[in-house]
Amino acid sequence: MTTETDTVLELKNVTKTFGNLAAVDSVNFDLKAGEIHAILGENGAGKSTLMNLIYGLYQPSDGNIYISGKIKQLKSPRDAIANGIGMVHQHFMLIENLTVAENIVLSTSQFSSSDILPKLDASITDSKSNEYHKPIKLSKFRYKKNEAVNLTEAHSNRFGLSVDPNALVRTLSVGAKQRVEILKALAVDAQILILDEPTAVLSPNEVDDFFQILRALQNDGRSIIFITHKMDEVLEISDRITVLSRGKKVYNGRTGELTAQQLAREMLGEEIPQVKREQNEASNDLVLSISNLTVKGIRKEIAVADVSLNTYRGEIVGIAGVDGNGQRELAESIMGLLPITSGTIDILGNQPKGTNNIRHCSVGFIPEDRRTMGIINTFTVAENLMLNKPYLDNVSKWGVIDQKTKTEVVTKLIDTYDIRPPSSEIPASSLSGGNQQKVVVARELSPQPDLLIAVNPTRGLDINAAQFVHQNLLKQRNRKKSVLIISTELDEVLLMSDRLFVMSRGKLINATKLRDNIEALGLLMTGETFHDE
Amino acid sequence: MMNNLIGLIRAIKFQCVSSLENYPRFTQIVVIPLIILGCASLTNAIILLLCGYNPVTAYTAAAGYSLCSIRGLSETLVKTTPFLMTGLSVGIAFRCGIWNIGAEGQFLIGALTATWFGTRIAYMIPHTPWLGVPLCLCIAGLAGGVWGVIPAILKVTRGVNEVISTIMLNYVAIHLVGLMIEGGPLQESSKIGSQSDSIVKWVSLPRFIEGNRLHPGIVISIILAIVLTFVLFRTTFGYQLRAVGEGADAAKAAGISVMQNTIRVFFISGALAGLGGAIELTALADELTKSFSPGYGYTAIAVALMAKLHPLGTIATALLFGALSVGSFAMEGEIGISGKITWMMQAIILLYVIGYSSARLFNKQPSKQ
Repeated sequence: MTTETDTVLELKNVTKTFGNLAAVDSVNFDLKAGEIHAILGENGAGKSTLMNLIYGLYQPSDGNIYISGKIKQLKSPRDAIANGIGMVHQHFMLIENLTVAENIVLSTSQFSSSDILPKLDASITDSKSNEYHKPIKLSKFRYKKNEAVNLTEAHSNRFGLSVDPNALVRTLSVGAKQRVEILKALAVDAQILILDEPTAVLSPNEVDDFFQILRALQNDGRSIIFITHKMDEVLEISDRITVLSRGKKVYNGRTGELTAQQLAREMLGEEIPQVKREQNEASNDLVLSISNLTVKGIRKEIAVADVSLNTYRGEIVGIAGVDGNGQRELAESIMGLLPITSGTIDILGNQPKGTNNIRHCSVGFIPEDRRTMGIINTFTVAENLMLNKPYLDNVSKWGVIDQKTKTEVVTKLIDTYDIRPPSSEIPASSLSGGNQQKVVVARELSPQPDLLIAVNPTRGLDINAAQFVHQNLLKQRNRKKSVLIISTELDEVLLMSDRLFVMSRGKLINATKLRDNIEALGLLMTGETFHDE
Repeated sequence: MMNNLIGLIRAIKFQCVSSLENYPRFTQIVVIPLIILGCASLTNAIILLLCGYNPVTAYTAAAGYSLCSIRGLSETLVKTTPFLMTGLSVGIAFRCGIWNIGAEGQFLIGALTATWFGTRIAYMIPHTPWLGVPLCLCIAGLAGGVWGVIPAILKVTRGVNEVISTIMLNYVAIHLVGLMIEGGPLQESSKIGSQSDSIVKWVSLPRFIEGNRLHPGIVISIILAIVLTFVLFRTTFGYQLRAVGEGADAAKAAGISVMQNTIRVFFISGALAGLGGAIELTALADELTKSFSPGYGYTAIAVALMAKLHPLGTIATALLFGALSVGSFAMEGEIGISGKITWMMQAIILLYVIGYSSARLFNKQPSKQ
């Protein structure tokens, strides 16, 4: 069919800007037939934006996309699918209460028979096996169960994607659901498959099976774009690697050209942030003491595995790591928002139960998910600035909110933290993301809590605002308070922390000594072990 | 199916609360409702014409009676009271993220409790309205609140969706009333009619003027609307209720108990509806019958939504619904328009109310910088 050198997809100088920010900055990218092309990058490096451009969810601000040498405008995923591009999202897009076959037919029925079905029939009859000789015509009006099951079975046999076509999707394991997603893409004859962090949800055994599927697809001449954080997987499965950093392509080459260390350096950038502040005197005043903490995540998987950590007055402890390695669960369990499976959390010598009591122990919390946990969209800015139980008690007398005190406090916060527009009575939803973050930071920092848990405290802020937050975090430290920063941005953690940890797969690794060794940190963050020679 | 229903209610709430935010307050509160009423009146005029009535005389009769005669005006206020009480009940629940469809049942439970108190218990207390009336209303409100807490407990302990449980409890309440007054312990003493005894005089809500049905219920409910506004928007208690309703995760992270506040909302909501039922019974009906509520608790959903779930706005919308139902009576009585047609006309107004916010026609210009 196709020879190895055929370029099936090419991006030329593609740029995508959001406001002033270039999420993808004149990136050139090409994908050859039958190739597995890995894309590596930190959070916010532009990987997802790039994929959304290819899948038609976004349109490029500049530059062009070529498919099989022809320039194409992909206005929607529909266009992308019609051009043979399929995407398996990190969060599955399946209808849980339908069977596997129904889910698969659902995706094919979105297209008129002239779009897809001839190709589909061809791809089925082309193949040597006899099982699916009969061309499958799916009626636009009637759902024929047997034919849907046959179609599903035909495809699943062909690529070794074993699933029971009659099983309800909600009864399937995560790995099986992923296979259904891939089948869905294959059912509309996708020649290019985009896999967004496909292994994040899989167990090690499932990963092996998954890689076999990828190889089968590759042998069939299909091309795969594989997005991941995990270095070992990249080295194992990919043919070529593209590294993105801050929206720019910083490396492209065949797998094996660079070692894992060199790739990590490319990924994190050359410049090591300057740690310009003086070393502070270590204090022995314990604030937060976590011992042998194990916490289960939403899917009942172990998210935090036997973590122990102490924080002291007058220091900033930083935890770096790639998203989804248990940081969120760690922060939420400290705040009493997630039940603890085993272990203990001591705050200032107490073991408070419930978020309210924990808050009353002078604990501030900047949550990871600003939109659902930090801000109430329909509340005004003023109301959001009071969204902290002890704080609320401060501005009220006998349970009645004192309007004068409230206005004073709120006006001061808006002024100090430069929240724009400087109006306290507009709904928080009308603020930009950065200004919403300022609202959260203002609320959590201004009471000067003894312990501050800050998860990605500067996400969405511009440089000046981020610096302002950093200065305030340092002030907290100088006031002899304790700060725990959990961030996906290594720069931030390196800049701020007195002691440094890396969180990976639920484990906390002390990395204070590796401060100047960016490569080692990068390896730790991507789940590799690092051996100090 | 249930999910669809909940989705629908959410969508309606969202539409009513948020889509007109871009307009100046005056337009939102006065101009747009007037346009809606105008459109609805036009549609209804067509229906009246098709049925062979002169819409002008019909409207004149309706408006003339319900708004321009002393008797009609007082009757409008009388009708406003149950709409306002149940509207407040639904409004506070929806505002706090609780989809309480059970105002009808809570209304009936309040009335039932007032009947029980007024026919069986009141003999045991001093025979004075200064004690009897407040005591009766309080107990009935409490009963409505407790009835409202049943779905709350099911929700927080077992995760039962309150839309289902409150609707089901409406049927339980309706049939409980039937059971009690048809052969049950509250049936009238001669055991013939399917109704209760009349409540004793010292628990019935006194009227302002002899011969006019206007009673203090309207005053009580307006005061409650003002108190509720204060509680919701000026106290930490109300702040927490709203925070849980508008953003449960954020409230939780702030240290506000979702479970506690959910139960509180259910109780307050149920108590308001129950109190409404008790006022209606002790002021007007005197005895409980099966046709006691013409679906106040359901119409209340429209009353509350049209008021954008604001207690003060509910006063206005309840007044509108009161005037509408009195006006329908006038059309029935004076011109002989069938009750079925007037019901249909009310339903059309409701459709306009729900539809108005989604009308793209109004959504063009986003003003206010």
